[in-house]
Amino acid sequence: MFRVRSGQETTDASQAFYNCELMSENNEKKVHGVVAEYTSVDTLLSACRRVRDAGYQKTDAFTPFPVHGIDKALGIKPTVLPWIVLGAGLTGTATALVMQIWMNAIDYPYIISGKPFLSLPAFMPVAFELTVLFASFGAFFGMWALNGLPKFSNPVFTDPRFDRVTDDRFFLYIDSKDDQFDRGGVEKLLGDTETDYVQTVVDDDSSDKVPKPFFMMWGLVVGLSVIPLLVVLKMRVSHSSQPRFHVFYDMDFSPAKDAQQYSTLFRDGRAMRPDVPGTVARGEEQANLNYMTGIDMEALTAIDPSRAERLVRRLNPYFQGETEAAQELTDDEAAEADKKGSGEEPEDSSPVAGKQSASKAEASNADENAAAPEEAKPSVMETTPWLDSNPLVLNEKVLADGRKNFGIYCSVCHGMNGSGNGLVNVRAQKIISPDWIQPSSLHQETLYADKYPAGKLFSTISNGIRKMPGYAGQIKTRDRWAIVAYVRALQLSQNASIEQFKDMDDSERAKVLQEQADVKKALKEKADADAKAAKEAKEKADADAANAST
Amino acid sequence: MSLAIPNGLDNTVEQPGERAPLVLGDTTYHDITEAVCQVAERKPSTSWVIGFLISFALLQWLGICILYLIYTGVGVWGNRSPVFWGWPIVNFVFWVGIGHAGTLISAILFLFRQEWRTSINRAAEAMTIFAVVCAGTFPGIHVGRAWLAFWLAPYPSLNLWMWPQFRSPLLWDVFAVSTYGTVSLLFWYMGMVPDLATFRDRSVNKWRRMAYGVLSLGWSGSSRHWMRYEKAYALLAAFAAPLVLSVHTIVSFDFAVSQVPGWHTTIFPPYFVAGAIFSGFAMVLTLMIPARKMLGLENLITIRHLDNMCKIILATGSIVGLAYGTEFFIAWYGQVQEEKFAFTNRAFGPYWWAYWTMVTCNVISPQLFWFKKLRTTPWMIVLVCIFVNIGMWFERFVIVVTSLSRDYLPSAWAYFSPTWVDWSMLIGSFGLFFTLFLLFCRLMPVINMAETKATLAKQYHVSNDGDH
Repeated sequence: MFRVRSGQETTDASQAFYNCELMSENNEKKVHGVVAEYTSVDTLLSACRRVRDAGYQKTDAFTPFPVHGIDKALGIKPTVLPWIVLGAGLTGTATALVMQIWMNAIDYPYIISGKPFLSLPAFMPVAFELTVLFASFGAFFGMWALNGLPKFSNPVFTDPRFDRVTDDRFFLYIDSKDDQFDRGGVEKLLGDTETDYVQTVVDDDSSDKVPKPFFMMWGLVVGLSVIPLLVVLKMRVSHSSQPRFHVFYDMDFSPAKDAQQYSTLFRDGRAMRPDVPGTVARGEEQANLNYMTGIDMEALTAIDPSRAERLVRRLNPYFQGETEAAQELTDDEAAEADKKGSGEEPEDSSPVAGKQSASKAEASNADENAAAPEEAKPSVMETTPWLDSNPLVLNEKVLADGRKNFGIYCSVCHGMNGSGNGLVNVRAQKIISPDWIQPSSLHQETLYADKYPAGKLFSTISNGIRKMPGYAGQIKTRDRWAIVAYVRALQLSQNASIEQFKDMDDSERAKVLQEQADVKKALKEKADADAKAAKEAKEKADADAANAST
Repeated sequence: MSLAIPNGLDNTVEQPGERAPLVLGDTTYHDITEAVCQVAERKPSTSWVIGFLISFALLQWLGICILYLIYTGVGVWGNRSPVFWGWPIVNFVFWVGIGHAGTLISAILFLFRQEWRTSINRAAEAMTIFAVVCAGTFPGIHVGRAWLAFWLAPYPSLNLWMWPQFRSPLLWDVFAVSTYGTVSLLFWYMGMVPDLATFRDRSVNKWRRMAYGVLSLGWSGSSRHWMRYEKAYALLAAFAAPLVLSVHTIVSFDFAVSQVPGWHTTIFPPYFVAGAIFSGFAMVLTLMIPARKMLGLENLITIRHLDNMCKIILATGSIVGLAYGTEFFIAWYGQVQEEKFAFTNRAFGPYWWAYWTMVTCNVISPQLFWFKKLRTTPWMIVLVCIFVNIGMWFERFVIVVTSLSRDYLPSAWAYFSPTWVDWSMLIGSFGLFFTLFLLFCRLMPVINMAETKATLAKQYHVSNDGDH
């Protein structure tokens, strides 16, 4: 079919007959059949009927459009195509359902709105679409397969006149394979119908080979398209020290700027934005190390430079924050405790450095308030040069803030008055909690300002002690100092001596002293009465016991 | 073989006991072949060349915009919180809707034995496929990382280790649109094979003959082939008819299955399908009326064809108008506060201009087709159809943008503004569409010659015998 037609048209029947004779005489080519041309549907149909009635079966008609009634006229059987399509359609339905059930209910179950994994209604749309898709493929490819197409070499195409079959001419064809086929008889039969052209169909002598340029183009396209695939394949199996090749960057590389880089986004050209006025950057206040730690850092550097350096280093990276510094202190305490070989808490705060052997410390530490009477190597806590005074400027506001924060954070254990009997303690006593340790009363002499410096109190609030956790993470530095100030006021409120009130007038002083004496007297009387009652009760119990035994 | 029908006869008049002729003039089979083949065989006309150059330039601009989008990211669109669907999805629904007329004409009118479809179905099917190509472009690039769009397919992935989620209408949409595109393509191509064989047999140029020879698969016009072909065609039509209804139904599920006020309504499937047919027929007429004039096909695409299509536009336009009214009624009758607000906001909110453009173009303009004068005057038809197309684009804009920009969270409300990329891509998609359509006009048979000849044969038979 690829050959160019010469255009020499044989128009009259006698010439056609002559051609046939010529060919058969030479006997060069195989005869495939005989074809006759008609100019209308009606003449074609009547010819078809005649040929059918004459008993020919291997016949066919060629028409420019589907001619209705020709299947009867030629005796063509119905096609099996609908069954192929039915099979394809059902395959589509099954494929869709199996695919969705496998993918969404078995292999990778999705929980969607609490629906069952296998929810058929949701799978229907895709099942419908694939049914249609497969059935359409069945109809399309099934039809071409049944028709034996594509087929580019067809003996009927050898006749240039046959080109008009797709325009306005109708052809009737009788195949030489028909049992009754006899060239003379067939030609006569067809010649008797309303035709003016009968032709023998012979082998196509033109080459049906695909032209060379076509192959070259094809080869070129295939060759070029294979190259990228090969490159990808090679890259997949080989190793390289080079970074991965990114066709698309996705989110592998961030376009974020570094601190000192130039940026076109802002008018000042800086990538890094300055702080909004009034911002206190995290860690900025840590520049004041004394304020942050409660330790006189200069003094500490003189005594123990390595520890001072450690503290500074811990505080400096601003993002590590205060709790890191706090950790440093607790680490020290823990180290101290380890040094003592004690599983218990390190010795509390007594600045009166007792000499105490490790084993004895362990034995005596059960009582948390017990001062260490014996000699020991001075602990870190003891040698630390704590700040003696509160770095805040004390005023009513600071005390009020300290009171507020004490109420929030401290009072639950230590009590509103600092006596160590807060709500948690009351409860713990009531349920006789086995691992509860009574919180310290803040009104012990060992915790007074002269023995327990402000810096040390601050450090204890920040880092914790024994069961008490550190509050550096919860309470701001300034507010912790405010608590220190308030604790001092609380201590004063409970244990002030009358001598401390220098501007009190004498009558007032006498009145207070009298009240004090009265209270003392009352307390003594009460204590005596209690002792007497206890003694009587004991005697009675003894007597009862004696009676019982006799 | 000439017919006794005078040239220029008014075939829109119904005569009792007789079918109006669908092929006019003293037309023979050969005349049909000549009329259709000369479109592709003669040198391209100046108007074709100019049209093609403009369309091709717009197509290039679309390509540049897509590259710019892929290189930069989806931020080049006006899609911002809360309107993340924006114009790409508006354009997608618009083009998919247009793509419904072709298969409807080919399949449903075929099943109803409406023979007037024969001379318009080819171009309408081509239009369908090109519209689906335009439609498919938008979700493909709207996924953001367009080079990963293949993740939509259910394939055993070594990177993801997971499967798509088949309870999502968005995935149904992938299957529906790709099935629709594929089946439309098969239907279109299969219908073209006999005509491509005509092109092959008329070719004098060796390469042309070879190209059409390959495309026509060695079609010989054998009666057995025709019989199987017709059976396959009928079967494909039977599948395509429910398919065409399913596709826009599933597209409407993208909206209706969500819970956004204004989307969550059961009327969406029929309303979308009617709108799709409406816009599709309008686009067919917009294209066919200039084409029949320029290509000289007035005797094959007759006034009666145009008249019939106008009636379909009138019918579907009225359905769409009724749907708009029903939406408002249900919003009021349902007494859901958000729904009521959504619809009041559509008509009287910040996008009132889009809503009333839509109502004017879609509801009022097709009503002009009640007048026969308008249905039979080509330039007036084109004018109304262009309005319908504008209106249908605005319908999708109204649905997508007004609902998303005012959903349940008032703090997220925002006004959508398109960027130059949005505009370029909308216009560029027309470039893609017209480039493909103009190439089709030059290279492929624009009218189904075989079927038209069969219609003519029937007409010839009737006028000669008069006993059928």
